[in-house]
Amino acid sequence: MAVRWSRLSPQVALTPAVLVTAVAFAGSIGWTIWMSLTRSRRFADYTIDWSNWPRQYNRLLNDDIFLGSLKNMVVLGIGSLLAIVFGFILAAMIDREKRGEGVFRTVFLYPLAVSLIVTGLAWRWLFNPPLGVQHFVQSLGFTWFKFDWLNYPETAMYGIILGTVWQGSGFYMALMLSGLKGINSEIWSAAKLDGVRFWRLYFEIIIPMMRFTFLTCAILLSLGVVKAYDMVYAMTNGGPGQSTWVPAYYTIDAYWQKANLGLASAAAVVMLAITVAIFVPLVLITAWQRRRQEARAQ
Amino acid sequence: MTTVAETSLAAGRSLDEPIAFPARKRRIKGSSIAILVFLTICALFFCVPLYVVVVTSLKSMDQIRLGDIFSLPWTLDFSAWVTAWDKSCSGTLCQGVKVGFLNSLEILFPSLILSMGLSCVTGYALALWNVKWANTFLFILFLCAFVPFQIIMVPLIVITGFLHVYGTIWGIAVVHAVLAMPILTLIFRNYYKDIPTEIISAALMDSGSFWRIFREIILPMSGNIMIVVLILQITSIWNDFLIGLTYGGIGTQPMTVILANVVITALGEANYNVDMAAALLTALPPLVIYFVLGKFFVQGITAGAIKG
Repeated sequence: MAVRWSRLSPQVALTPAVLVTAVAFAGSIGWTIWMSLTRSRRFADYTIDWSNWPRQYNRLLNDDIFLGSLKNMVVLGIGSLLAIVFGFILAAMIDREKRGEGVFRTVFLYPLAVSLIVTGLAWRWLFNPPLGVQHFVQSLGFTWFKFDWLNYPETAMYGIILGTVWQGSGFYMALMLSGLKGINSEIWSAAKLDGVRFWRLYFEIIIPMMRFTFLTCAILLSLGVVKAYDMVYAMTNGGPGQSTWVPAYYTIDAYWQKANLGLASAAAVVMLAITVAIFVPLVLITAWQRRRQEARAQ
Repeated sequence: MTTVAETSLAAGRSLDEPIAFPARKRRIKGSSIAILVFLTICALFFCVPLYVVVVTSLKSMDQIRLGDIFSLPWTLDFSAWVTAWDKSCSGTLCQGVKVGFLNSLEILFPSLILSMGLSCVTGYALALWNVKWANTFLFILFLCAFVPFQIIMVPLIVITGFLHVYGTIWGIAVVHAVLAMPILTLIFRNYYKDIPTEIISAALMDSGSFWRIFREIILPMSGNIMIVVLILQITSIWNDFLIGLTYGGIGTQPMTVILANVVITALGEANYNVDMAAALLTALPPLVIYFVLGKFFVQGITAGAIKG
């Protein structure tokens, strides 16, 4: 009896998690995909008109604001790559010069402990044209200096990128630093003995050795970019106009402001599709690289 | 030459912790100085927003209007903090961000209990018990960890509405538990799988049941991972905005949502000192945790990376 109970208990203990996965994840995703095919407005309408099932998707593709939000997402993604580069440079320098590692790490990582809303508001304040950094630098005599990016549709996205890079660099630094620590210390001394140039050492030996870390960073960064919402909300609230909308912002606006469940669901499905499209190839590359490395090790 | 080395050593020291053995005087190379200077400049850049938020919150509006954003406040004036805490307006309600602070605290505890309880037990069952479909389930959880929130947002509104918790503290807690479940389960499972199964076998012989082994063997062994996950969850629940905005009703909105209302959607003349004080008050609890328990925080964000 005791044995049978002990076999049953794990299954019982797992029931809530299985239920959550089945209902809140699998079922919910299915429900949203279903909704994206309907004409639901404020409330769910379950009938699908099969003669014109991609109506919501067509509407999205013909909506300049949605296309603009996709473009902004790509711009944000490319711009945020700076965070990985910056993170790597910081990590390499900290790793090379051990002095002050604790202090520097603490400083570079603190943005991660702060809410993105607070971060966004702080940057919004720095970007304030008459009272912020721009006025300060101009008052020093550099009258050509412009730091009012958030006020113009053409540059507002760069402001958000700056805030995002500031917030994320420390995180990539931490990942890179643990990657650098995993590199065999003999490589450093061997390179020193051979007199390998500093740049070559990094570009031809260290970075290729750390490709898993870079891949992990790339996966995390792209997922973060697809999800980006808080920062945009706090810094520009989508403006000026709709120039800084991103898909996450569009989806939430479609549900709450436009009261269009069908359209919001379709936008959410596009977000999921983008995530899958980024995630699957990157994970496959990682798995393939790892297998190749293991095969070589044997 | 010696003097240069001496002064640079002193500069290096002021950045670093005090060197334990003054006898070990080594000359600092030029490249080291260059690196330290570069890192210091970067560190200053990282400190700029925090510095500006702090000094702005201590200035009077008269001083702010001069536009000298980096200057120190004329006098140490905490009145903006008091206003932000007690009187700033979110919508038509002018009771300050303390409303949000209390709501966030109320949200924190049920969310922590639900999310950590669920994931801890699930991770334990998957790691140490012979469940045939464990690997399949872990793979599905891994996929779920990457799902964008927006695609399950509306269904979760329907579900929490069906459970009669939508708009309440418990509604927010349930959503936090659901969204954190995949990644936290993976973290717990990875920690528990290194426990030798012999311990479990021996405990089973000793007529230990599933729950008894959990209570008497596993939980006492999980101190370290519990602190890591606890800090990860406290910061992410406290800093969350979207879940609080979507599932919080009137009177249950977390501090981040109240802050956004105070600053972004405020009407009338902007009081930047009050805005920055409100932002600082919101950021303070996780910052304190970070500066006190930084080591665990770093472990947590690295382990829970995909959650962000």
